[in-house]
Amino acid sequence: MSEQHITSILESIRFASLSESDHLRIRAHTANCDDCARAYRVASVSASLLQNRMAETFEPSPFFHTRVLAAVREKQNEGPAFARLWRAAGALVSSMAAAVVLFAVLSFGVLDQQSLPTDASAHAYSAEALILDDVEEEQTDGQVLSTLYEADE
Amino acid sequence: MAKRANAGDEDAFGEIVRRYSPRVFHFASRFFRQRSLVEEAAQEVFLKAFTQLGSYEGRGSMEGWFTKITTNTCLNLLRSAKRRPEMTVSDLSEDESGWLENKYSGAAEEEFKSSERSKVAADLTEKVLETMSPDDRLVLTLVDGEDAPVKEVAELTGWSESKVKVQAFRARKRMREAVEKLLGK
Repeated sequence: MSEQHITSILESIRFASLSESDHLRIRAHTANCDDCARAYRVASVSASLLQNRMAETFEPSPFFHTRVLAAVREKQNEGPAFARLWRAAGALVSSMAAAVVLFAVLSFGVLDQQSLPTDASAHAYSAEALILDDVEEEQTDGQVLSTLYEADE
Repeated sequence: MAKRANAGDEDAFGEIVRRYSPRVFHFASRFFRQRSLVEEAAQEVFLKAFTQLGSYEGRGSMEGWFTKITTNTCLNLLRSAKRRPEMTVSDLSEDESGWLENKYSGAAEEEFKSSERSKVAADLTEKVLETMSPDDRLVLTLVDGEDAPVKEVAELTGWSESKVKVQAFRARKRMREAVEKLLGK
């Protein structure tokens, strides 16, 4: 039985599940093989450690049942995550959205008013064209005067 | 009972908690050694169970269903916990070193069967297990500790049976190496 064989037995089967004949075969081999004897002993110690750890167990405390039911109630009251989030931040999000809309209306409204052509500049003709009556459209008195005054300035 | 609890009957769910909490605690105790951590894991198990009651189709036993939720919850908690760095002989207490040496040299078993010796061994085991990966710890606990069949572990974890066998093989090797190192052999 090679060393490889011993270690592969120890690693492939739960130590506590080794049969008496497995133990006899292993012991027969380990009597003449120090490495295998060490591996066998260490595997035995590992199994013993696990056995001791598994012997420990906790029982539920008398209050555990009450604690769980309280946690369940709390979870039920919380409701769906989105609703919870909306309750917490809904007012803030709404006011922010309203502020953005208001800002957009004001911005575009002012820009539109600034870009509207005035009467005087809508159909601007030079003073010379007005004097020579070289205009296609009829001009109001106000337009004629403002064009002439602008030309003087 | 599951149907009643799913319909919002608190008494029915309370009965479920009462009936299955010993099993959940027993299982969670395999993974955590502090009562507070075991209780935390168990509470999480029941909260998950409450939200997933609709998915329990009653095909398997409810105990099996709870064992599966407990296994996965504990595995996730272990994965999120910090692993202890590799241990050396200097990390052992005098009692732990003594226990290891005596056990290794094959001293009479009876001499070390007192509850105090068991506690020393359990402390030492926990230290060794804390250095191992959650998957190694899970498979050692279930297969070697609980003597659970490979098929059952595969069902609980969602792993294939081959993966359970390979994981157990490697975990035993790593545990043996860790103990060997502590023994200074």
